[in-house]
Amino acid sequence: MNLLEELRSLARLYGQQFRTTFATMLQYRASLLIWMIAQVLEPLVYLIVWSTVSNGSGGSVGGYTAQGFAAYYLAFMLVNQVTYTWIMWEYEYRIRQGALSFALLKPVHPIHADISENLSSKLITLPILLVVAFILALIFHPAAALTVWALLAFIPALVLAFLLRFLLEWTLAQAAFWTTRVSATNQVYFLLMLFLAGQIAPLTLFPRWIQIVADILPFRWMLGFPVELVLGRLTQAQALEGLAAQAVWLAVSLVLVRLAWRAGVRVYSAVGA
Amino acid sequence: MNTLRLMAVFFRVSVLNETAYRVNFFVQLFQSLLELGTALAGLAVIFSYTNSLGDWSPNEMLALVGVYFLVGGVISLVIQPGMSALIDAVRDGTLDFTLTKPEDAQLLVSIQRVAIWSLLDLLMGAGVLAAALIRLGENLGARQAAGFIGMLLAGGVIVYSFWLILASLSFWLVRVENLLEIFQSMYQAGRWPVSLYPGWLRFGLTFIVPVAFATSIPAQALTGRLGGTTLLGAAGLAILMFALARLVWRLGLRHYSGASA
Amino acid sequence: MSEPAVQLKDLCKTYRVAERESGMGAALGSLFHRRMQAVQAVDGLTFDLAPGEIVGFLGPNGAGKTTTLKMLSGLLHPSGGAGRVLGFIPWKRERAFLRQITLVMGQRNQLVWDIPAADSFELNRVIYRLPRADYRRTLDELTDLLALGPLLKKPVRNLSLGERMKCEVAAALLHRPRVVFLDEPTIGLDVTMQRRIRAFIAEYNRRSGATVLLTSHYMADVEALCKRVIVIHHGRLLFDGDLSALIQQFTAHKTIVVQLEDCQADLRRYGEVLECEDGRVTLRVPKAETARVTERLLADLPVIDLLVQDPPIEEVIDRVFTQETA
Repeated sequence: MNLLEELRSLARLYGQQFRTTFATMLQYRASLLIWMIAQVLEPLVYLIVWSTVSNGSGGSVGGYTAQGFAAYYLAFMLVNQVTYTWIMWEYEYRIRQGALSFALLKPVHPIHADISENLSSKLITLPILLVVAFILALIFHPAAALTVWALLAFIPALVLAFLLRFLLEWTLAQAAFWTTRVSATNQVYFLLMLFLAGQIAPLTLFPRWIQIVADILPFRWMLGFPVELVLGRLTQAQALEGLAAQAVWLAVSLVLVRLAWRAGVRVYSAVGA
Repeated sequence: MNTLRLMAVFFRVSVLNETAYRVNFFVQLFQSLLELGTALAGLAVIFSYTNSLGDWSPNEMLALVGVYFLVGGVISLVIQPGMSALIDAVRDGTLDFTLTKPEDAQLLVSIQRVAIWSLLDLLMGAGVLAAALIRLGENLGARQAAGFIGMLLAGGVIVYSFWLILASLSFWLVRVENLLEIFQSMYQAGRWPVSLYPGWLRFGLTFIVPVAFATSIPAQALTGRLGGTTLLGAAGLAILMFALARLVWRLGLRHYSGASA
Repeated sequence: MSEPAVQLKDLCKTYRVAERESGMGAALGSLFHRRMQAVQAVDGLTFDLAPGEIVGFLGPNGAGKTTTLKMLSGLLHPSGGAGRVLGFIPWKRERAFLRQITLVMGQRNQLVWDIPAADSFELNRVIYRLPRADYRRTLDELTDLLALGPLLKKPVRNLSLGERMKCEVAAALLHRPRVVFLDEPTIGLDVTMQRRIRAFIAEYNRRSGATVLLTSHYMADVEALCKRVIVIHHGRLLFDGDLSALIQQFTAHKTIVVQLEDCQADLRRYGEVLECEDGRVTLRVPKAETARVTERLLADLPVIDLLVQDPPIEEVIDRVFTQETA
């Protein structure tokens, strides 16, 4: 197959996946609603807490006013929505149910189906979340120094963040080949994300040494970095450095995906699909 | 009376059930400690920038975290497992067995399952609470202690009633197990005092999904922030919710057994 | 003349079922409007059971057997008619009533999965408020009759299907109920285990005098246990009487299935030809003639394979039904 045909068949796959996802989501309306409440509530709570702190400390804290925090957490909520995956739970379920065998029989790497499923669901949930963010913006009055170059640089940063986060979380999902207690491994991951991706607080509020650790590890590049970038809190030099860091980690994650998948399949087929 | 004996024997069955899986204990311990560590680290970050959150001091916030884990532990110990099992039983028809037993079916489904490793959360929460109380020391009087216990009980009843109403919806709807998640996902907000939140959110967390009754309100009673009217109001609400839950349950049973509406 | 243990008069149960066609349009439409259809599960059932009787309740799948049992054990409210068990109205679910009945469902477990059966029994002991001495005595008797000894300490999930069924039955009888409802208790079990369970039920009934209403779609269950048989189909009573009369009347035939090369041969002189497909001929012959016809078939024709069967219960029921309307 030449490149054009391959792209076309991939496009068909993604299109079909969208239809399936839409039908499924219609069935699971209630759980979708609840999940979205959780997606909104968590950054909202931090927004409120930090705004309270900043208001009680003379108007600003660590370079953020209450409006600054509002902008940060609303942007965070949206970037999180774009980069979010649930793939770790998905693989635990598939391996436990033995459904992975179907994926192994197909001539396409399962990651394509996973990505398309992920993106399809976001095509539905992201518009809803944008509306919610807009309403919250009316209530909390976010303020940020937006610039044209930052907005332009935001696009590749967001795409890289999505890919990076998806690939790394996909690698993490392969842990299900080795243990049934993925809730434990996932929780460690979520904890690291909470602190080092800028979730519990913008990273500049942490002591210097934590910020250095956050720069070395990939978590900031998955989530916090695009947020800081779009809000105009980075210099151009910092933005370029960040994009480079994303690229490096992306390359690393591609290798990790390969290794994890191969090792996982070996374990799976040894036990018997 | 027989209710207590029933609870004891169901508890025993659950212990026997769980100790068949020893690994669960260590996994639960690990996860609980991780969660507690996260909560405390979060507090540490906040209080590195301020001396009081809203009008809550660090020790009062510590008490709130303690209550959060304590009540969270109780919910995942006795409330969530039973309600989750109820939904399964309605779906696969094993509720029929419960209904042929000569005991009140609501009692049986409520105590039928105990996730005993959640005792770890409970104990952790109690430990943190105790530490906070020691540090709060002289500010704690008998009235506050009584109010605290009262609000814990009222909160427990309100949360139980809420869960029972949601679980009873499975008599009429399918796929209700997802609905139960709503409490879990909103419970996170209970780690912070609800007084911080804007009115509409406070309302939602109090009267729509009663997270506040589980965490903030007992903590407020403990730290002397609750007036007599609020205490009585909460107690009254608890009685009301319990009656409502019982009503919904009985209506659900009638629907399940095809009695004319 | 003592009070009947179980009494039904014109008992009815109608279900309302939602129906929906496939496709996106219908799916979205069902969000707003649902079409309901009435299904008559039980239609005017009337019979009495005397104390101590074992009665077989026969019918094909969907005949209304389980629905009737659920009404008699108080799980379902009827749509019409009256019923009494031990003088109680079952769907009122009074405690005194529930203490005296039991329901065993062939495909569902009440035992807790991961712990030994003995611990589930203990649970029932507390629920039914059985004094320890009585409980011990009953348990010993059941253990003896059902050969439960080595099974009691094993977690239920480690037992085979048959062993599990034995424990389920024991758990259901710990409180010495006066009326026992058995819903397909032998379904899925191997032949040996089926025989054991049947023997147990017979012995238990003899010793305790409990009234047993047993549903099944295995004739063998009913043949082994019940003198009296009630047949229902489409929720209606078709036959209520002696089992021997039922057999005599409606299963006076056997079915012979012969595999030949094709359907060209005319087999009408051997018996009644029911159907022929790809050389597979189904014949109905009177019971007495089975051996003779089989011999002649094997001698006269190039038989590839031959099978002699009892007519399936559905066929018996069909005959009962068509006889009734004729």
